[in-house]
Amino acid sequence: MAFFEARGLAVSYRRNGVPFEPFSDVGFELFAGQIADLVGPSGSGKSSLLCACARLLPKTSGTLVLKGADSTSFSPEEWRRRVCYVPQKPTVVAGTVRDNLLLPWSLRVRRNDEAPDDAALRSLIADAALDDVDLDRDAAQLSGGELARVALLRAFATRPDVLLLDEVDAALDDATARSVSRLTRRLVRGDTACLRIRHRPPDGAADRTLRLERGRIAQIDHAEAGV
Amino acid sequence: MSAGVIDIGYLELFGATAFMLVAAVVAGALRLRQTKAIVVSTVRCFLQLLAMGLLLVYLFKYQSWWLVCLVLVGMSLAATQIALGRVKGKALNIWPEVFGTIFLSSMIVAFIVVEAIVHASPWYDARVLVPISGMVLGSTLSATAVAIDRLFSGMDVRSDEIAAYLALGATPREAAFPSIRSAIGSGLTPALATMSAAGIVQIPGMMSGQVLAGADPMIAAKYQIVVLLMISAATTLAIVAICLTTYRKRFTSDACFLSPALRDE
Repeated sequence: MAFFEARGLAVSYRRNGVPFEPFSDVGFELFAGQIADLVGPSGSGKSSLLCACARLLPKTSGTLVLKGADSTSFSPEEWRRRVCYVPQKPTVVAGTVRDNLLLPWSLRVRRNDEAPDDAALRSLIADAALDDVDLDRDAAQLSGGELARVALLRAFATRPDVLLLDEVDAALDDATARSVSRLTRRLVRGDTACLRIRHRPPDGAADRTLRLERGRIAQIDHAEAGV
Repeated sequence: MSAGVIDIGYLELFGATAFMLVAAVVAGALRLRQTKAIVVSTVRCFLQLLAMGLLLVYLFKYQSWWLVCLVLVGMSLAATQIALGRVKGKALNIWPEVFGTIFLSSMIVAFIVVEAIVHASPWYDARVLVPISGMVLGSTLSATAVAIDRLFSGMDVRSDEIAAYLALGATPREAAFPSIRSAIGSGLTPALATMSAAGIVQIPGMMSGQVLAGADPMIAAKYQIVVLLMISAATTLAIVAICLTTYRKRFTSDACFLSPALRDE
């Protein structure tokens, strides 16, 4: 059984005042412990698809299913807690690196969850090659690459069921992008699935590749997968 | 001390229109194309204030609770239209929220002042209730318009941050809260600044009016203090209420954020 499934998904919205329907009948499956890459031409609706899967963009039709449960049985907040979208543009809030990493635990949806302690946070940032970044450092002083990794780690730390990564390595140099790939691979174990949009050459972390083109999605083999 | 009211003759009143020549000369010299606006504003100022004067004369003479309340509702409706006019272009459908906020926040505070501080008798004494309500309404409408503008502009500026909050599982209120807090802070600033400057930089309108009308300056000062405090309370109530009742307009029923790019404007 698929861990996460989208069936007949369609979204339609006005983009800068003009009606826009990037896709109208998209379906795919994600499996536990697997990373899938999503590729396709620019403007094909890859980011819209990820946002629709996280219920950050209203779908006009179709169903989303997580571990056998339909998305309509969850509140939007509960769904997003389980299906976590990380945007390409990293966003940090005013405060320290620690404040940013612990932001999810300040929200009502996680009020009963125990937040990670400093040791766990330090281990996490070390995994992302951020050893020299102190937890007390002002997040506003981080470089672009560091910001991207902090935003990514914030999502990783919440241990979601499904990670939707929207070109999160776009602002990173090759070495850092590789460390993020390794980190993603470590995180995506038996109880997590991941769908990534990437414009870099295949890094060997993905188990399969999906192509979104002309409103349709197809699985392609790794030989075809490219930029 | 009671010097009595010094009346202004109609000749002097219409002669004062000459003051508007200053604005007309500036507008003409700088080709501001505002001649029509200057004429319309001047005529409106005359007509509206004279009409209000006539209305108050009638109200003082034949006052009844329902007539006074009708006038207050009418003033609140006008305040709502003016406040909404100041936030055009925001693609908002918030008439009920603005009316409810302006009417309730102003009337709650005005009635407390009339009943508990001025001890007006009867409670609907138009000579007390109407001018006090008018002063509060004027301030709440300005504060409401500023708060709406700051709230929705702030949310647009924070589009990426709001999206990030929602993606982590935040409720719309949690995602919008930094903008709500900022809008409330911005809305409070003018009232607090007026209170700080009162008596040093300016003699506020009500005190000036009472002194000109021959009242004891100490009584006028006490009234002015009460008015400034009540305006502060009413504007605070209005700002908090309008922010908490309207922020959801930028979210769908499924808690999706309507960023500027997604809105039909």
